[in-house]
Amino acid sequence: MTEPKRILIVDDEVGFTEMVKLNLEDTGRFLVRIENDSTRAFETALGYRPELILLDIIMPEMEGPDVLCQLRENEQTAQIPIIFLTATVRKSEVNQEDGFISGYPFLAKPCTVEELIQAIDQNI
Amino acid sequence: MDTELKRTLQVLIVENNDVDRAVLINMLSKAPYGSFQISATDSLQETFELLKQSLVDVVLLDLNIKDSNGIDTLKRLHGRYPQLAVVVNTGEYQDDLGLRAVTMGAQDYLIKGMYKSYGLVKALYYAIERKKAETELHKAMDELKEMQAQLIRAEKMNVVGGVASGIAHEVKNPLATILYGVEYLNTVLKDGDDKIELTLRSIKDAAYKANSIIKDLLDFASLSDIKRDLCPIERTIEQGLVLTHHQCEKFQIKIVKHFATNLPNVLIDKNRIEQVVVDLILNAIAVMKNGGTLTIRTTRKIFDRSDISVASNLTDSIAVGEDVLIVDFEDTGKGIPDEYLEKIFDPFFTTHRAAGGVGLGLSIARTIMDSHGGMIDLANKEDKQGARARLVFKVNGK
Repeated sequence: MTEPKRILIVDDEVGFTEMVKLNLEDTGRFLVRIENDSTRAFETALGYRPELILLDIIMPEMEGPDVLCQLRENEQTAQIPIIFLTATVRKSEVNQEDGFISGYPFLAKPCTVEELIQAIDQNI
Repeated sequence: MDTELKRTLQVLIVENNDVDRAVLINMLSKAPYGSFQISATDSLQETFELLKQSLVDVVLLDLNIKDSNGIDTLKRLHGRYPQLAVVVNTGEYQDDLGLRAVTMGAQDYLIKGMYKSYGLVKALYYAIERKKAETELHKAMDELKEMQAQLIRAEKMNVVGGVASGIAHEVKNPLATILYGVEYLNTVLKDGDDKIELTLRSIKDAAYKANSIIKDLLDFASLSDIKRDLCPIERTIEQGLVLTHHQCEKFQIKIVKHFATNLPNVLIDKNRIEQVVVDLILNAIAVMKNGGTLTIRTTRKIFDRSDISVASNLTDSIAVGEDVLIVDFEDTGKGIPDEYLEKIFDPFFTTHRAAGGVGLGLSIARTIMDSHGGMIDLANKEDKQGARARLVFKVNGK
C-alpha cells in the first residue's frame, strides 16, 4: 500500500474543514492537516510539507491570494500544487475559466467529494 | 421666435358667428407683423376633419359653437389633439373661465372685443411658443422619469448583486459542510437501515435545493444572459455617465467628451456594456479622489497592434486590419504601477480591498468584452499623467 498523500486545507470554516478531513482520510489515500487561521498557513505548510494545498479565497485577516504569494516566495513551498476552493464563484464560472483562475485549478463550493478527489489526483 | 415670424402660420378659426369670424380674418390680414394661412369652421366635428387633413399651428377656439358648448369644447379638442396650441376666444366672460381654460390645455384666453389686431397676433405666436416649451418640458420630464427608473434598476441590481454574493459565501460554506457530512455518513453507514438512508437522502436533497436557489439568485445578477442589438455607443456611454454622475460630482471629476461624428452602431448588449462603462468610470474616480479630469474619446480606425498595450494579451478576437471602434477613458490619476498591469484583470485582484473592492470588476468587464468579440486594455498614458482604459469593438461584430 502506498503512503497516504499529505494534504493541507486552509479555510476558516471549521465544520467544512473537519468534513473534508473525514471524507478524504476515509479513503485511506490521504492524510489531512487543517489550518483555520490563514495567517498561520505559510508556517503550517513549511512544517507539514504537504503534497497539495486546498486554499480558500475569502478569509478574515489574510486572503487566499495573499497566502499564495507567501507560499510562492519561499523556495521550500513554491512548488506545492494549489487548488483554490471557494464559495464566491459558481460552477458555471469555473467552467468558463476552464477550471482555472489566475492559472490555478479551482473548485466551487459545494462540490462533491468525488470531484474534490478527482481534482486532487489531477494536480498532485 | 424670429424664425417663427418668417414663416406663414397655419391658423384654424373655430367660430360659430359669421361676423366674429370675419372680424378675426380681417384682423389677421391687417396684422402689424406675421403672415397667416387661415382656415375656418363652425363645428368641432369639422375641426377634427380639418386637423386630420392638414397641419395647423394654432387653433383660435370659440367655446360655444354649433356642436359643442362651454369648456367641454376645449376638453374634447385637447383630449383628441394634446399637442396642439390653442387660444380660446369667446364672448362669454367669467372670472375663472380663463384660468380653467389654461389648466385644461389652452395656451391663452381672449375675450371678444377686448383686443386689437396686435394683441391677437401676439397671443397666437405666444401660444405656439408656450406649447413648444410645454412639449419640451414634458419630453424632458419623461426622460427624467426614465433615467430615474434606470437608476433605481441599477441600484436594485447593485443591491441584488451584493446580497447575492454575500449569501453565496455565507450559505454555501455551511451547505458544503452539510453535504460532506452526509457523504461521510453515507460511506460509513453503507449497510444502514432504510430510515437512515432516507434521512440522509432528504438532507442531501434539501442542501442541493438551497444551493440551486442561491445559484438562481446569482444568475439573476450575473453575466449569463447576453442579448445584442445594434446600438450607438455614445448613448451607452452617456447612460454610464448618468449612473455615475453623483460620484463624479462628489469627487469633483470633470468630464471631457471627444466623440467622433458619424460613428456606426455596434452590436452590443447595451446593459452589459453599460456595466463595463460604469465600472471603468468608477475605477477612474477611485484614483482621482481629490478631483481630476476624465476624458472619454471615441474613434473609428483600422486596428493595429499598437492600439493595445504590450502588457495586454493579444487574443484572436480582433485581427490587425479590422475596422474597429475604440472608446478610451483617460484619467488624471497617478497611473498604474507596472507590476500591477499584468494581473489587473485577474479575478480577486484589487488595490482597494480595504474600500470594499472584491476585485471582480475588471475581470467581469473583460468577460463581457470577450463575449462581444471585443477587447479591453489598460495602460498608462504616454505622458505618464494617469491611466487609459480602452474598449475595442468590431464595427461589423458578429
